Amino acid sequence: MFDFVRLADNAFYGMAIILFLTGFWIMLSHANLIKKIIGMNIMESAIFLFFVAIGYIKGGSAPILGREGVTYINPLPSALILTGIVVSVSVTAFALALVVKLYQHYGTVNVDEITQIRRGEA
Amino acid sequence: MSEHVAPLIVVLPLATAYSILLFCPKYWRYAQRASLICTGLLVVLTCILAMQVNVRGSVIYHFGNWSPPWGIEFLIDRISAFFLVMVSAISFVVILFANGLLYKEIKERVLGQYYALFLILLASLLGIASSNDLFNVFVFLEISSVSAAALVAVNGNKLALEASVKYLVLSTLGSGSLLLAIANIYMVTGYLNLTFIAEALPQAYALYPLNVLATLGLFVVGLTVKSALYPMHIWLPDAHGSAPTSSSAVLSALVVKVYIIVFLKLIFRVFTLEFVSQVPLQFVLLLMSALAILLGSLLAIRQTDIKKMLAYSTVAQIGYIFMGVGLLTYNGLLGAVLHILNHAIMKAMLFLSAGLLIKLTGKRDIRSLAGVGRIYPLPMIAFSLGSLAMVGIPPLNGFISKWYLSLGALEAGLPIYVLVILVSSFLNGLYYLPIVISAFFGQSTEPTYKPLPIPIGASIALICLCIATIFFGLFSGIPTQYLDPALENWFQL
Repeated sequence: MFDFVRLADNAFYGMAIILFLTGFWIMLSHANLIKKIIGMNIMESAIFLFFVAIGYIKGGSAPILGREGVTYINPLPSALILTGIVVSVSVTAFALALVVKLYQHYGTVNVDEITQIRRGEA
Repeated sequence: MSEHVAPLIVVLPLATAYSILLFCPKYWRYAQRASLICTGLLVVLTCILAMQVNVRGSVIYHFGNWSPPWGIEFLIDRISAFFLVMVSAISFVVILFANGLLYKEIKERVLGQYYALFLILLASLLGIASSNDLFNVFVFLEISSVSAAALVAVNGNKLALEASVKYLVLSTLGSGSLLLAIANIYMVTGYLNLTFIAEALPQAYALYPLNVLATLGLFVVGLTVKSALYPMHIWLPDAHGSAPTSSSAVLSALVVKVYIIVFLKLIFRVFTLEFVSQVPLQFVLLLMSALAILLGSLLAIRQTDIKKMLAYSTVAQIGYIFMGVGLLTYNGLLGAVLHILNHAIMKAMLFLSAGLLIKLTGKRDIRSLAGVGRIYPLPMIAFSLGSLAMVGIPPLNGFISKWYLSLGALEAGLPIYVLVILVSSFLNGLYYLPIVISAFFGQSTEPTYKPLPIPIGASIALICLCIATIFFGLFSGIPTQYLDPALENWFQL
């Protein structure tokens, strides 16, 4: 018998996998560079969700010490992912800046059209 | 004081980079001098570190005195020390070269920023090689991929921008899969420090075999995308072919290698040889690297643009290094690590001399280089020496690593890979030697003209690399003996 309770308990991981695949698919299938970058961000968010979910305990709270009878969650993954988010924001900003530059040169953000323009020039 | 050398090698280039951005983004001549001094100091510091490692064993540094597993730890063993010295020496030479030529290649407005970016990239490479904390490694990896993509795009021309976007998107894919792997390994072991993970892993594997295997797979995918092993190489030729000369040299010679160092640490220190030989990793790595070697060389033959050709040759050479790792034998791994050094020297030399020739003659096409060797002897001699080393002519350094790789293949009982090395040496000859022959003996179609002067820094850089090529061919015992204890430890000989 399939264990639905266990699946529900691990809903975060399932969601992370669905988001990861969605982002990955957007990154691969869309020719629009902005959409590719959005896909990249969705994929990264999925990984962040996965990472934070490792430290989460149902009903747990932030580890502010000195309280009785409270379960603490593991704060380390959350702290790490804060760094991860900063990294991902800077990568996104840089990628968007590059796309703006590309648009100034080609007048489009579509990869297929850019390839066609380049073939026409060559 | 001497115990603070380890963090200093990362802090020094970062501090210099931000000082350049703060004080002299406009006065690029100061930026040139500052980065030359900085890389020179780094060579000295990394040599001191390498000596310390040689005398006292691995150098360990705990940041803020927080002992692991809580704090971040730098652990510099023989392999890392070897790599650190190589990175700082090659970047010193590249900066020396860039000081003579770069201001003709990119806009004056961004020159100061270029040097700052270069130093940030350097800091991240040194950090990746020395850090023993997985998340710290991940942050350095991201710094390196952003700054490397920026170094490609710095020219602002269309091709470079496109290559840079491609590079950035694919390397984000690689780092995504690395971060997922780190999450997985943290989930099953509870540690981020490599030493502690290595201790906890056997127990974790007994409890969660699927997670550990998935982690290994994700690490392999992430690191091979970033170091451009064959099926994942598509970003490399565009990025390395369209970047400014000094960027291509440092990207090809150093940046793709640092991921292999991380891979080595993970495979041999964390997962250990015993575990890796149980999973079908060897087969996958050998297959991919054999494809990389053969198809990379075949694709290089088809190129007419000299820098694109060198970039495809890098794809093939990365194949050699991964093959040495995949053989999982002592000699194979020694060959791989030596090839990291030898390829860095050869490829830096080839890219720098090709870039210099492009700048002097104004041509990128291989066929138009006929007779160039008689007009500009020094860059063409350096190019020829690099070509011969790539083919693997005995007194040069390329021969040594191919020799150890072949020995490793025989040791592993897979003589077919010796054949792969031989065929690819032949293919290397097929695309390098015609350029050399036509440059020295071909008839130039153009009337003879007065050659432009070669910048003095560029000449010195090329001569240094030529000497290194011959030196490491004749005295290969120096790196071999330095690395020997570390490799023996991994293989428990």
